[in-house]
Amino acid sequence: MGRSDEELVEACQAGEASAFDVLVARWEDKIRGAAYRFLGSEEEAKDVAQEAFLKAYRALGGFKREARFSSWLYQIATNLCRDRLRRRRTRAAVSLEELEETGPVIVETRPGAHEQLQQLDLARLVRRAVYALPEEQREVVILKEYQGLTFLEIAQALDVPVSTAKTRLYRGLGQLRLRLEREGLGGESAVPAPAR
Amino acid sequence: MDCERVGDEGLQADKMDALYGEADAAARARVEAHLAGCDACREEMAALRGVRRDLREWALPAARPSFTPRGVVVPRWLAAAAVLLFLFGATLGVTGYVSLRRALVAQEARAAEAERRHREEVQALQASLARGPAAPLDAATVLAGLDARIDERLRASEARQVARLDTRIAGWEERADAQRRVDMARVAASLSYLDGRHGQQLARTNELMGYVLEASAQKR
Repeated sequence: MGRSDEELVEACQAGEASAFDVLVARWEDKIRGAAYRFLGSEEEAKDVAQEAFLKAYRALGGFKREARFSSWLYQIATNLCRDRLRRRRTRAAVSLEELEETGPVIVETRPGAHEQLQQLDLARLVRRAVYALPEEQREVVILKEYQGLTFLEIAQALDVPVSTAKTRLYRGLGQLRLRLEREGLGGESAVPAPAR
Repeated sequence: MDCERVGDEGLQADKMDALYGEADAAARARVEAHLAGCDACREEMAALRGVRRDLREWALPAARPSFTPRGVVVPRWLAAAAVLLFLFGATLGVTGYVSLRRALVAQEARAAEAERRHREEVQALQASLARGPAAPLDAATVLAGLDARIDERLRASEARQVARLDTRIAGWEERADAQRRVDMARVAASLSYLDGRHGQQLARTNELMGYVLEASAQKR
């Protein structure tokens, strides 16, 4: 069992620079994944991940450990993504279609051709629905659904109260439900009334 | 039928906790109690579970390798050219090997022949040595023989010298004759040139004299 994030952070603060390499190896994929879902671009996601670790390394001396290291890292990455999205909006309104055309999605499983096509269609629909959400709801959905953060971690990463994170998620899921149902998705199943 | 607590953020938070498995016992109890009496919320929770399932369809792109051997497509003409080139090279190689092999065989045969000759010479020498020393020679006979050979050589040498001298004299004569002919030709050419010049000069003088006579006639 390796050292925890907090132990590694302590080691870094004590001057053990190699401890940061362990943190990078541990979190790089997740940060890049989150950035990819925020921005819809692999290249930008790589840049954001690198930038986030660089910022974290520079600011590590002032890290107070009030939040978890991962939450802090997500916070840095989320802010970087927000900056990029803001810059995009100022340059030109980012159309949904542009985000759609940011490279093929290669599913990790290897089903047959028909299934693969169907899966790509589903993925495209889902991605489009997520991008259609307001930014604050989209962030929570991504951090919760794809990054698996707890509500407390999301609240720390987004610097909002936990209740706000939950409300945003509730609203975001509601929006997704409507949109996906319009697209013919939404695996709603009949729910029997619980026994009284 | 809508839920009467549709805007209740506390209930929403509890639902989210329940949906993601983060609800403590109290929150779980609250949600279950509400769902038991609210069809709309029960239906909503089921729908949100479906949404979560749909969200899982959006997978991350796999890491793209920088080089995939399966992705390399070789044109047919290039493959055919490569095969032909290989066959050509192989043919050259085989031919070269055969030629080299033949040359080596011939060289070995020549070396064997030379060795055989040397062995025969050595054997002949050994045989002559085995026969013992030759009979002693008579000095007068030897000297006479030598004198005869010297005279013969001298005569041959003199004959060669005379023949060489005759040839040289003939060459000189021939060359002198040719030179004489060349000189005569040059003299003739020079005389012709002088004659030509003289002729022209004479013609010009006559012409001038004609002008002078014509002018004097006009003056008169």
